[in-house]
Amino acid sequence: MQGSRRPVFLSFARLRFPVGAVASIGHRISGVVLACALPFAAVALGRSFSEEGDYASVVDGLQSPAGRVALIVVAWAAGHHLLAGIRHLLMDIGVGASLPAARASAFAVIALAVLAAALPLAA
Amino acid sequence: MKFALSGRRAFIVQRLSALVLLAFLAGTALRLALGPLPTRDQWQAWSAQPHAAALLILVVLSLIAHAWVGIRDVVLDYLRPARWRPAVLAVVAVGLAWLLARATYLLVLHAL
Repeated sequence: MQGSRRPVFLSFARLRFPVGAVASIGHRISGVVLACALPFAAVALGRSFSEEGDYASVVDGLQSPAGRVALIVVAWAAGHHLLAGIRHLLMDIGVGASLPAARASAFAVIALAVLAAALPLAA
Repeated sequence: MKFALSGRRAFIVQRLSALVLLAFLAGTALRLALGPLPTRDQWQAWSAQPHAAALLILVVLSLIAHAWVGIRDVVLDYLRPARWRPAVLAVVAVGLAWLLARATYLLVLHAL
C-alpha cells in the first residue's frame, strides 16, 4: 500500500456510514457509557439499603442539574443498548436479517433510543 | 495473550447474560408499569428475601460478565498502541471484580 499512487477516497463531507453501522457503533458507545455508570449503581445499591438520609441523598443527586444530564445520557445508552441487543439476538436466530429489514430495524433502534433519552425529562 | 473469556465461550457468555438481563428488565418494567412505585421500605423488604437476593446476585453476575466481554471487545478492537491493552484490561478486570464483590457483599449482608 505504501508508495501507491492510486487515488484515495477520503472526503469526510461525502462519506456516509450505512445506518446499520451507526446503530452498531452506538451499541458499543452505549455499552461503554453503561459500564462507566456501574460504580455509581453500586453506590446507589448500598445507599438503597441504608437509612432514610442516605437514600434521599441519591434522589437529591439525581435531581441536581448534573444528575439530570447523567440520567438523560444513561437513558439514551440503556435504550440504545437494549434495543440494539434485542435486534442482534433476533438476527442470531434469523429474524430480520435481510438487508431491508435490518436497515429498518437499525433506524428504529436509533430513533427509539432518542425517545428513551427524553423519558427522564417527562418524569 | 490469552484471556479467560474469549472466542466461542465469550460469545455464549455475552448472549446468555444478555438474556438474563433482558428477562430481569422486562420483569422489573412490568412490575413498575402495573402498580405504584415501590417505596424504600417495600424495596428493602423484598430484596431481603433469600430468593430475591439470589436473583439480584445472578443479575449482578450477568451484568459484570456482560460488561467484561463487551469492554474487552472494545479495548482489543480500538485501543492503540496495542501494548497498552494488557494493562488496561487488567485495570478493568480488577475494577469489575471489585464491583462484583462489593455488590454481592451488600446483597448478602442485607439479606442476612
